[in-house]
Amino acid sequence: MTDIPRSAKEIDGMLHELAETVIHSIDNWNDIVFIGIRSGGVLVAKNVVALLEERTGKKIPLGALDIALYRDDLSKIRFYPEVRRTDIPFSVDDKTVILVDDVLHTGRSVRAAIDHIVDLGRPMRIYLMVLFDRGGREFPIQADFIGKTIELGDDKIIKLETSKDAQLIIEVISSEVSR
Amino acid sequence: MTWPYKDLIAIADLSADEIGTILDMAASFKEISRRDIKKVPTLRGKTVVLLFYEPSTRTRLSFELAAKRLSADTTALSASGSSFTKGETIMDAAYNVMAMAPDCIIIRYPYAGIPKKMAQLLPCSVINAGDGYHEHPTQALLDMYTMKERFGRLEGLKVAIVGDIMHSRVARSNVYGLKKMGAQVVLVAPKTLLPPGVETWGVEVSTELDPVIPGSDVIMMLRVQKERLHQQFFSGEREYSFFYGLNKARVDKMKDDAVIMHPGPMNRGVEINYDAADSARSIILDQVENGVAIRMTLLYLSLGGSVNVD
Repeated sequence: MTDIPRSAKEIDGMLHELAETVIHSIDNWNDIVFIGIRSGGVLVAKNVVALLEERTGKKIPLGALDIALYRDDLSKIRFYPEVRRTDIPFSVDDKTVILVDDVLHTGRSVRAAIDHIVDLGRPMRIYLMVLFDRGGREFPIQADFIGKTIELGDDKIIKLETSKDAQLIIEVISSEVSR
Repeated sequence: MTWPYKDLIAIADLSADEIGTILDMAASFKEISRRDIKKVPTLRGKTVVLLFYEPSTRTRLSFELAAKRLSADTTALSASGSSFTKGETIMDAAYNVMAMAPDCIIIRYPYAGIPKKMAQLLPCSVINAGDGYHEHPTQALLDMYTMKERFGRLEGLKVAIVGDIMHSRVARSNVYGLKKMGAQVVLVAPKTLLPPGVETWGVEVSTELDPVIPGSDVIMMLRVQKERLHQQFFSGEREYSFFYGLNKARVDKMKDDAVIMHPGPMNRGVEINYDAADSARSIILDQVENGVAIRMTLLYLSLGGSVNVD
């Protein structure tokens, strides 16, 4: 748990590295769109997109995906999650989508997000970018761009927030508290 | 905050916070109906049964589409095509339906109280789609959503509800809801169509429409229930239209940003004229569109949903 970056400098470094990896992997920026999974993924996507726009000088479309209605555990849990708005102000048809989440764990959220995206159109391809990969996969899903691979106890979750000065904040909390 | 109810019977049962939650959430559901693929897998495997003991076009279609867009299976029974007409009591019918294990029953019934009784006796969710002169909660929620969407707020809005208040469950549900949300309601009707005890509802009452128009943000016209004409609540359609119909002259006296609403079905030429129904102020079709979103929200919440307040 000690290896999770907390300081503004470490977090910035991680975001810069993510942006750098994307720049080296993508040849054609015309069809690139970013879609963040609410809420942590959107924060990561915003930060990375800002860095990429600075570097490439291009405007990169950014959308937000709410996966509550696509979860596979609705019949298993007592409380349904809050439903927020999916806000994707562009067509995903034939686009290269970079799907962004804060933490990759079981892979179930990503499965739900992919299902949601294909309901909106037919992208050319979907990449997955995550800030943290904590292992523990239950689905055969892997990320293409990873900020940092970490180890975290099963009873802990990572929560992302934005400070008043728009700095990304990373918190590790007990999963009981998040309910 | 978690959603505490399995049923929705009456707006009177909901707090202002709960109404606010439904209205906020409905915006997310509205977006789904604007997609090319208007379906999410959320209620896959759930069964929704619609029992309609009274005619309905909009409400029934709206509930059915809402359930289908959430991937629930739906089946609808109406009074005419069922053994309701063979003398079976409503509760026997309900127990028989329950034996087939639906997750939700949506019921419209000509008399008040039946949805509540079903909700108490059955383990599944029950949603009231209109019971007698009691309540029509989803209509009031979609009306409030539509007003809030237009004005950005409900608090302080002045809403005139015009017409057959006495026999209107739409008016009752709206009065409960709008008062809770801080709107000001004026009921406008001839004395014969005002319910006994209306003075205890805590709203303004007027027997004249013209003085109410210039100060209102929303003018909600209720349907003249032609089937009641023979009961002599008023002397004729033409006279009613003259005193209470929304026509061009009256539309011209409305505030600049004021809007016209109607729960449908409209009697054009009676309570509302072509000039009013088709004017740019009319948000009647917005009401219909929003109805699906509101009903999706309620199905989601009633079938186990909850909300977390960030």
